[in-house]
Amino acid sequence: MATTVRRTRDVQSNRMSGRARGGDHRLTRGRRKREQSEYFFDYSLLFIVLFLLGFGMIMIYSASSYAAFQSYGDAAYYLKKQALAVTLGLIAMMVVANIPYHFWERFATLGYGVSVALIFLVLTPLGIESHGARRWFRIPGVGMQIQPAEVAKLAMILFLAVMVCKMGKGVRTIKGFVLMMVMPLPVVVLIWKVTDNLSSAIIVLSIALLMVFVASPDYKKFVAMGAVAILFVSLLVVYVSRLDPSTNFRFRRIQVWLNPESDSQDKGFQTLQGLYAIGSGGVLGKGLGRSMQKLSFLPEAQNDMIFSIICEELGLFGAIAIILMFILLIWRMMIIANNASDLFGAMLVVGVIGHVAVQAILNIAVVTNSIPNTGISLPFISYGGTSVVFLLIEIGLVLSVARRIQLKEL
Amino acid sequence: MLKDSNGQLHNKIIYRKKIMTVVAGCTLVFVLLFARLVYLMVWRAEHYSQLATELHERERSIKAARGRILDCNGVVLADNRTVCTISVIYNQIQDSEEVIRVLCQELALSEEYVRPKVEKYSSMERIKSNVDKEIGDRIREYDLPGVKVDEDYKRYYPYGALASKVLGFTGGDNQGIIGLEVVYEKYLQGEPGMILTMTDAKGIEVEEAGERRIEPKSGNDLCISMDRNIQTYATQLALQAMETKEADSVSIIVMNPQNGELLAMVNVPEFDLNTPYELSYEPVVEPTAEEKQELLNQMWRNGCINDTYEPGSTFKVITAAAALEEGVVTPNDSFHCPGYVVVDDRKIRCHKIAGHGSEDFVHATMNSCNPVFVTVGLRLGVENYYKYFESFGLKTKTGIDLPGEAGTIMHKMEDMGNVELATVSFGQSFQITPIQLLTTISSIVNGGNRITPHFGVRALDEQGEVVEEFTYPIQEGIVSEEVSATMRDILEMVVSEGGGVNGKVEGYRVGGKTATSQTLPRGSGRYIASFVGFAPADDPQVIAIAIINNPQGVYYGGQIAAPVIRQLFENILPYLGI
Repeated sequence: MATTVRRTRDVQSNRMSGRARGGDHRLTRGRRKREQSEYFFDYSLLFIVLFLLGFGMIMIYSASSYAAFQSYGDAAYYLKKQALAVTLGLIAMMVVANIPYHFWERFATLGYGVSVALIFLVLTPLGIESHGARRWFRIPGVGMQIQPAEVAKLAMILFLAVMVCKMGKGVRTIKGFVLMMVMPLPVVVLIWKVTDNLSSAIIVLSIALLMVFVASPDYKKFVAMGAVAILFVSLLVVYVSRLDPSTNFRFRRIQVWLNPESDSQDKGFQTLQGLYAIGSGGVLGKGLGRSMQKLSFLPEAQNDMIFSIICEELGLFGAIAIILMFILLIWRMMIIANNASDLFGAMLVVGVIGHVAVQAILNIAVVTNSIPNTGISLPFISYGGTSVVFLLIEIGLVLSVARRIQLKEL
Repeated sequence: MLKDSNGQLHNKIIYRKKIMTVVAGCTLVFVLLFARLVYLMVWRAEHYSQLATELHERERSIKAARGRILDCNGVVLADNRTVCTISVIYNQIQDSEEVIRVLCQELALSEEYVRPKVEKYSSMERIKSNVDKEIGDRIREYDLPGVKVDEDYKRYYPYGALASKVLGFTGGDNQGIIGLEVVYEKYLQGEPGMILTMTDAKGIEVEEAGERRIEPKSGNDLCISMDRNIQTYATQLALQAMETKEADSVSIIVMNPQNGELLAMVNVPEFDLNTPYELSYEPVVEPTAEEKQELLNQMWRNGCINDTYEPGSTFKVITAAAALEEGVVTPNDSFHCPGYVVVDDRKIRCHKIAGHGSEDFVHATMNSCNPVFVTVGLRLGVENYYKYFESFGLKTKTGIDLPGEAGTIMHKMEDMGNVELATVSFGQSFQITPIQLLTTISSIVNGGNRITPHFGVRALDEQGEVVEEFTYPIQEGIVSEEVSATMRDILEMVVSEGGGVNGKVEGYRVGGKTATSQTLPRGSGRYIASFVGFAPADDPQVIAIAIINNPQGVYYGGQIAAPVIRQLFENILPYLGI
């Protein structure tokens, strides 16, 4: 709760100045301008994000230095690349934070179109194949690689936020609901099928679902949907667990999830190595930099599996610290969303909450083998340039929304 | 565009509730994931830590010290030398000048040799191996980072070629290759220890992780019944006989006939156990690798056990005992030897062409008269003879604790006619090993107890405590005590007045029997001269056999083999306090 207090104090002066102008509830354009010029910035949110970024870079160095030295002769190879992306992302974040978020409204449809186009770009010669999937394309001349799925997440948040506002009360009708559910599907399917990236598709779909859930005042539909989904998943798991694993490979991923030891050399390898890391960390951890599993045992240690290295080196203590920071982050964003000056701002923040929360949850769930293995990075912490830049742009949007909070409503 | 409306406040409350539901839901999932982490990192920590450690650790084994082999007086016949290998690890060296100085000084090496090795950028550079343990310990005491002293054991045989074919030697992994080293492998080998080091996925050592040691467990010492002094003396006698008679090889076995303990087993030429892979002689033509292995195998053969021969007249002891036991002959039965005997259509000659004339059974034995033994053998008949051959244990192996004992080569009973029976009666047309002959004669003269010849007596642990006392089967009553006593008397007569007179030892009652057998093919001029002697004749405490293979010149057992045993007895009987 310390953050609330702090934030309250932050805006105290604004409130005073607001009061001084009289008890007028209606906002004039001139009034808005004045308030905007009075600098309000959500430092708590910024601090949490910076903490996660800094923590992430330390862990990227710890997890990757050994492998980086072996492959590139430079222990800080990954750290340097990530630092560059973080710097770029922070600049982008500050720029976006200082642009009134309504500016982006007009780009909603364009963004949707561009993200679809970018997905197809991976099929062109610009596309880059890595780890057996074409998920990146390079920007010629700059030497940068971009993962269109990350762009699509941001575009989807913007697009749906605008759509919710445009529909107004229409969102309460079945038609509106179905439309909201159908619009994201093309992007989801494209990400899944074209870039062969099931996890990003799931995240985009989850962001859309959460935004629709918030936008529509109804609970019953969602409870019913949730119940059906849970039933379906349970039945599938029961069905797969009864299949003979030696002859049936259709649900290999789920079989390996149920029993990672059964395929410890191939599909279950990464999961098992991650579990070794987590388990051997114990309560207190081995100490920063002391991970054994990062010594080429655990593939992608600085990337999707970085959380297991955190667990190994910093133990349960490090793990709870990270989880608490994520809870704090989404809680902080929730306060911004709740107090946003309008629905568009609130929906933007809800989209970002959905993105960060779903991705963090899925990542930790994969690493702890709570769900079947799929490649999901841990927001702000995992190595990955596109991901961190676009996440920071999203944080910039949230900061921009925070700046427009009408203080008297607090 | 988004405008304020009257419904906005209401909407806002709905949105807030929904947003809070989303965040509360996410927080709940985070808490569940945290619970999962607690389960993995607290309850499953040990399980996964263990699996991870197994994955990270690479083991280097530390050889266990092999047990020693001690003679009956505790003299070490097979020992270990601790040798050290000194190496440097470039990455761990802190003060290379000090390292160079110490290594040059302690290992007596030149700086020109040491410096490049210390300064060479490599994972591990060996400076010197087979360094004495004291020097290795001294270097270790300097505690120089980057200098590794690895200990190793090397089998060492202090007496070189002594009893080489009995003791055997060990291979590169300290495992027994031949001889007692093989048979008592289980006791001697011990359990290797381990150095466990942490490595990365490619097996590269992680330096700061340190290492774990599991200490090796030394093997048990093996005490054998061999007496180094008797073995040494018997070896000298055998070498002397081999040289003077220009023989191919000479074997001597000395045994306690009461319990089967072997005091010596000599097969000259022996070979140096410390260099078992070098031929003990210069081959005429340089052999190929395959031929060399064959020659080495020949060199390693223990003729007393691995090879069979026609025993010849010494086997008459067995025929006599069987006939006496069966009652088909008494010592006083008289016979007539015309110099030959006709069996079916064959005429079998006596070695004395003129014949021995009239003689009783005792004198026939003293004269080693073939026609008499043929007659006695025929009196027994094939079935009876075969029965005793089997009951004396001649068809089975002796069970000696040495590897590769050869079996008896004998006619099948159904193929045995009178002619075969006649030749077997005086020790021809079948083959047994020397140890088989000696064991059987021992059993006949010791009162009728078939003993198991052996070297192994007991195994001791590092502190000298007995781990196991070896026991060997004894089959009692293969001949009666009376027959045994009669045989002792007759064989004493053989030495005191008969063909074995050269085996006589002043002041001792010695029994024995000579043999001269022609090797196959007949007429090749190759003979085996042998003599079995035991003392004291009335209560045998020691029995010995000497076999001279292909002697030149005089080849009669009584002439050349009996003196070897006489000289042996002259020395060892007082030594043994008999």
